[in-house]
Amino acid sequence: MIGLEIRNLFKSYFLHGKRIDVLRGVSLDLAAGELVSLVGASGSGKSTFLHVIGLLDAPAAGEIRFNGRDLFEMSDPAVADFRNRTIGFVFQSHYLLPEFTALENVAMPALIQRWERGPAVRRARELLLRVGLEKRIDHRPGELSGGEAQRVALARALVLKPALLLADEPTGNLDPVTGEGIHQLLREVNRELGITAIVVTHNEALAESMPRRLRLLDGQVFPS
Amino acid sequence: MPSDRQTQYRWKYLWAGAALAAFGMLLAAIAASAERRVLELLEQLSLSGIGWGVLATLVKAVVTVGRTSASAPAFAPTVGRVWASAAGLWILGWTLIGTSIRYLSPPAQAPSPAHGAPLFRRLARYRDFDWGTLLAYGGGVLASELALIVLHTALVTGVRFGRVLENRSDAWQVPPPVAFAISLLVAFAIAFAAGFLGAARAKRLATPEATLGLLYFGLPIPLLLSALSANPDAQLRIGYRLREIWYLAGLLGRPELGYWLVYLGLALMIFLGITTGFVATGSGRMDLRSGFELFIARRHVSVFRPRLLLSVLAILMFGIIPPLIVYAMVRAAEAAVEQTRIRALGLADPLKATEALHHWKTREQSPTAMMTTLSVGGVGVGVMALIIVLSVMSGFEADLQQKIIGTNAQVVVSKYADSFSEYREVIDKVREMRGVVGETPFILNEVMISSGQNIAGVIIKGIDPASVGNVTDLPKNILPGGSLDNLSHPEKIIARPISNTSSPEPAPGAVRTERDPPTPVFQGIIVGRELAGSLHVNVGDRVDIISPLGGELGPQGPVPKSRPFRVAGIFYSGMYEYDAKFVYILLETAQKFFNMEGVSGVEVRVADVDDARRVAKAITEQLDGWPYRTRDWGEMNRNLFSALRLEKLVMGIILTIIVIVAGGLIVATVIMLVLEKRKEIAVLKALGVPDGGIVKIFLTEGLQIGIAGGLLGLLSGLSWCLLIEKIGIKLDPQVYYIPELPVKIEPLQTVIPVLIAVLVTYLASIYPALKASQVEPVEGLRSE
Repeated sequence: MIGLEIRNLFKSYFLHGKRIDVLRGVSLDLAAGELVSLVGASGSGKSTFLHVIGLLDAPAAGEIRFNGRDLFEMSDPAVADFRNRTIGFVFQSHYLLPEFTALENVAMPALIQRWERGPAVRRARELLLRVGLEKRIDHRPGELSGGEAQRVALARALVLKPALLLADEPTGNLDPVTGEGIHQLLREVNRELGITAIVVTHNEALAESMPRRLRLLDGQVFPS
Repeated sequence: MPSDRQTQYRWKYLWAGAALAAFGMLLAAIAASAERRVLELLEQLSLSGIGWGVLATLVKAVVTVGRTSASAPAFAPTVGRVWASAAGLWILGWTLIGTSIRYLSPPAQAPSPAHGAPLFRRLARYRDFDWGTLLAYGGGVLASELALIVLHTALVTGVRFGRVLENRSDAWQVPPPVAFAISLLVAFAIAFAAGFLGAARAKRLATPEATLGLLYFGLPIPLLLSALSANPDAQLRIGYRLREIWYLAGLLGRPELGYWLVYLGLALMIFLGITTGFVATGSGRMDLRSGFELFIARRHVSVFRPRLLLSVLAILMFGIIPPLIVYAMVRAAEAAVEQTRIRALGLADPLKATEALHHWKTREQSPTAMMTTLSVGGVGVGVMALIIVLSVMSGFEADLQQKIIGTNAQVVVSKYADSFSEYREVIDKVREMRGVVGETPFILNEVMISSGQNIAGVIIKGIDPASVGNVTDLPKNILPGGSLDNLSHPEKIIARPISNTSSPEPAPGAVRTERDPPTPVFQGIIVGRELAGSLHVNVGDRVDIISPLGGELGPQGPVPKSRPFRVAGIFYSGMYEYDAKFVYILLETAQKFFNMEGVSGVEVRVADVDDARRVAKAITEQLDGWPYRTRDWGEMNRNLFSALRLEKLVMGIILTIIVIVAGGLIVATVIMLVLEKRKEIAVLKALGVPDGGIVKIFLTEGLQIGIAGGLLGLLSGLSWCLLIEKIGIKLDPQVYYIPELPVKIEPLQTVIPVLIAVLVTYLASIYPALKASQVEPVEGLRSE
């Protein structure tokens, strides 16, 4: 069953007034529940690719369907709702909200979906337990280590049980051991929840451990 | 890149076209100068000062020059031709300008790799204009204007069931200010609803539609009304029923200014409606809840911290310097204690000491927190100043009112022409009425008063000592040493020996008593404190009253009538004008002195001062109108109280500017917040917060500042007012005639500044909040 269909995706960005075509007609099919790693050189457009899939950035041309739904047909509020319910993001830097505790950060997507405070916090606590951070619940991001913050960010991405997880170099800022822990967690989560996940990484060794491996080269995606 | 050079101008054609069009304008202006009324119209428009004031002044200058240079009679027949050639030149000029601009196709490039691929769907469907939204905004502003005009006219002229009633008194009719307030509220509601619905339907702000709607649908009516107000003839012919609207604006002196203020108000309401509608439907459906938005906003700007609130309140209450000194002292003491503690800790466990030191240092506040405190203080100062100044002005007004109606009655019944001798029956009738608590007859006239070499023109009032206390405060105002009873019992006045030496002869008309004392007994008179001072008299002294009327005929015509009185008391009303101008004598004495049968009128006191007008009307009806008439204190002192109201209005406007300046501070604060939180905005968007949610967050942040500042201002303003009221601030008696600064706290007057502050902060936060919602998620996420 096809989860994510990407057809003929084009995207350029501008650097010093020059147009750089990072995506040149990318087409890709991902089965539902598939775990994929994506590698590529710096500036090859891995992050841009992920942002376009996550509807954070607009492409120039192309089509994306998720579970048969055309993502580019949606209105602005529908896009926001889609990001909230269906997509979970993990970035290279944890991007937790500094004013809020780990628990509140994890509960935030649920609160945005207008959950009551009680259920949202309960769900967030479960997730933090799952990523092994029950002792760090009331700490603010500034008081967490890099690995802990990234695990909180993962918990936040998973709190609403998204169908698609987009991880943009989640281990880029971490030492190999901690990074491997995060990858381990990603694999477990993928297996347990059946989430379709794309993990962008620099680390070839970690990429090798994924069931399916892709490489972004010259604006095209190749299996590697 | 070649793509940025696609437009080519041929400058010669362009300038020639511009010159031709300008010449056409000039010709049109000359033609216009031949028309009457154009000048007057321009005069009005140039003074209206909103937007086109400068332009209109320029055109007026041209027209004036054209008018003086062209000899009107020779010129008149060719006006049509001049208009035509002006139009021709104008069109020709613009055609030239149009042809002078050419669009070049960019030089051929190799097609991009995406050539022929389907365009991004959302971009392909992109459309930033919607006729429905234009209709909602434009129709809304037009409907609100029409509603205002129709409703106001209907309410004021007493239209019922769609027709003007001949007999207006039985229609539901309200005074112009009330009608204006009602219709303005209705129009505001319509404008707000139109903006709300338009934005909610379009799910975006739709700025082009709003601009076009306000300009093309909203402007014609105010323009037309301004033009009408410049032309009294046309106004009488077309819109004579509209005069009720410009009546109120006309009180400000410039009717058309009133139109534009109302128009601005309507535009503001549309704007508020649009933003509210956009925010409410930001998540795709109507959603007025703000759970997580409030949660986030309160963490971003934690305004309601006791520390912040207390420090701002301290600054508002005690000024900047004293709290600063206290703060510095507390901080110094705290630092000393803390450092001692850390050192002691360090002697035992160095690592714990570094941790404590770290916590101690990270307590420093961020610049935004500082700005927040400043903004709260700014709003607080504005609100406090508004409340205090308005309360003091109200205090002055109330003081003045109390003195005026304490000396003069609240309602005066008088009679046209004929002698008012049946006053006793009138008093009996009035006494029966509801709302009347006292009534007394009086005689009023102007005479001269003299004592020795001093002379003054005064208003003399004949009063009935028995009942005057029910109506005025005169008995209370008599200074110790004198007495109102002395009027009825002149023999009780103890004459001062010195003053009698100047008049050994008893004056004619002096009443002799059996006791036959060396000093003759004169009728008593009560004079004001200032008058007593300028005449150098005291209780027991003799004064002479001289009237040009009613004297006997002498060889050279009527001789002024003169009569001695003895000062029976001195009163102090607190109004300089009264204390220097009023003297009181017995009613019967006055009747005898002026050869009157009746009285000048009857003074009435009512239970509720503000109800005086209604009671006065009721009294007139009770007395069957003519020849009787009644006037209330407001009517008798209209100029004074109108001036006071105007002064208060102007003061309020000036002080509101303080609040607006504070609003600017809030704009700066929220913009700083937005810049500081760019990354977090991007993250929130990635987590699925819609644009409306982001707007809500930052609106709430601004509003928090406004509410905190408003409440602190209210608290400190009220405290100051109470302080002034209880303790009092002495005024220099050399300058002011009242001993203490008066204060009167009116509930409405204290609430309105707070509402203004909240509204201003809301408006001020709209722009930064919209900016925040426009942050692209990718931009914010890229910054690291």
